Amino acid sequence: MHAIEAEGLRKTYPGGVEAVKGIDFDVSEGEVFGLLGPNGAGKSTTVGMLTTTIIPTAGTARLIGHDVARSPLLARSVSSVVFQEAVVDQGLTGRANLELHTKLWGVSPERAKSRMTELIEALGLNGLIDRPVHTYSGGERRRLEIARALCSEPQVLFLDEPTVGLDPRIRHELLDVIAGLRARDDLTILVTTHYLDEAQRLCDRVAIIHEGTLVALDSPKALLEQLGREILEFRVDGSPHRALAALRDRGIAAEDAFAIGARITVPLHRHAATEALAAIESEHLRASEIAIRVPNLDDVYLQLTGTAVREAA
Amino acid sequence: MSAIAEPAPVTLRAPRRTRTASALATLARRRAALTASNPRQILVPLIGPALLALVVAPALKIATGGLHSHIDYESFVGVGAVGLVVPLSCIFAGLSVIVDRHSGAQRELLAAPVPRAYLVLGNLAVAVALSALQVTVLIGLSALRGGEFHITPDGVAWFAGAAVLFTVFMYGIAETLASRIKSQEEYVGAVPAVAILPFFLAGALFPITAMPAWLTTIAKFLPLTHALALMRYAFVDPSGKGLHDIWGMSNVTTEAWLSLAVVALFAAALTYGSIRAFSRSAVS
Repeated sequence: MHAIEAEGLRKTYPGGVEAVKGIDFDVSEGEVFGLLGPNGAGKSTTVGMLTTTIIPTAGTARLIGHDVARSPLLARSVSSVVFQEAVVDQGLTGRANLELHTKLWGVSPERAKSRMTELIEALGLNGLIDRPVHTYSGGERRRLEIARALCSEPQVLFLDEPTVGLDPRIRHELLDVIAGLRARDDLTILVTTHYLDEAQRLCDRVAIIHEGTLVALDSPKALLEQLGREILEFRVDGSPHRALAALRDRGIAAEDAFAIGARITVPLHRHAATEALAAIESEHLRASEIAIRVPNLDDVYLQLTGTAVREAA
Repeated sequence: MSAIAEPAPVTLRAPRRTRTASALATLARRRAALTASNPRQILVPLIGPALLALVVAPALKIATGGLHSHIDYESFVGVGAVGLVVPLSCIFAGLSVIVDRHSGAQRELLAAPVPRAYLVLGNLAVAVALSALQVTVLIGLSALRGGEFHITPDGVAWFAGAAVLFTVFMYGIAETLASRIKSQEEYVGAVPAVAILPFFLAGALFPITAMPAWLTTIAKFLPLTHALALMRYAFVDPSGKGLHDIWGMSNVTTEAWLSLAVVALFAAALTYGSIRAFSRSAVS
């Protein structure tokens, strides 16, 4: 049994919009699993189905063996969610928000007290916890929400776009906090994001979801290895498709090279960068902004979907 | 695509259960704390009805000479004002549900391992407690202004029964509207239809028989008409004239039970409906 199991999960909204088109994945206990894709790809619908706020049209999902449709209370009892937007009682203190969570999740008063003390300390909430939440900054509120989700010692934690809308400093602070959660072996984390660098940093495995379908599922390392050690990237003045075809004819570009607009991306599998540059010159391609760099998950996503994740988000 | 082949077995913990009473009490305490942090929600619904009982009723009594019966007009309107304070209070409580959905913790509560009906019932408990406080203040003010109330243990029981069931009914309407209406603006737009109109038709300021016959007939189907007749029977008019205007029977106790049953029926139906509406709006 896995901590999270999804089989043939499908959601069609009234009106016929197919948000999720039958996806399958499993997440092992202690694993950090990333669900990547732009807005509208089906990430939030998938998390909604796993957290029992969206009813699947077909398929099944289980959290620690509890079917989310048949035993929603049990499924909810082993999980917690940190939502994308502020989901807190702004008029109450941080402590009151944490206490509410522990009581609803049935944590014993003694355990709740010690757990809260531990998390308030760990997440740097000491000076804030007895203030009303409406006085918190965005980053403070997000730390409170993470503390709240952990108060009940969930076995499965859902982080829905945890850093969206935060400024870069707070975002990095928060990523540190989330990275720290990996130390807990029995905590399984499913994180959705359209920031691929976050996924690369945090996740053991990632699934790329595009138009409701999983188009890739593997470790970031394995996904990156598919693109080789280096990437050649340049803008071309003229037809990008003709330029791409020319590089393919010379054996520099393989089938996984792609063009988006005037920008061409060529994973270099067997060729050195110097060979690729020489080919550009000898083919008289009017290239500019030439860069040789290591591949990242953006490249994987673009190669798989032909869409810029951040542009689409 | 690839996947991890053989996962380590998952640690199975004994599931924690949240007891019904504990979950309901927690949700009600939360709503009470949020209400207390917003005193306007407690005071604003009282202003209009209090003015009605303290200023308008005495003025109308002087201007019109009252009801021309054994019933004191100020106490008649004092009880009638309950028919305004309870709907306004419940409508305000419903507004909190929309605020919860848009900028509060509703989604966290929906992810909690408690039945979603409890979220409605926890809010309902606080709406009933708040209305009880507001009604007590209103009747107290009316009595201080000169209203004549005959308080007996039986009367208190009838009054409390009618007021609580009417509050449950009104909260059911408020919660149902809050679940179905997307924005606060649209919700506030529904207030005249659900809170003000019945107040004028249900005999809050005058006996229902003073209206044209067809309106009297409509009034007999309004739960507020039954609730006000019961509350007046309890505190103002032991002869039960208001109940007799509805039922036309000879036994006032039977009429009282029948009216209580009507309000209870409406309360049960709207509570069921509001739980259903909330549960449906909570998932997609």
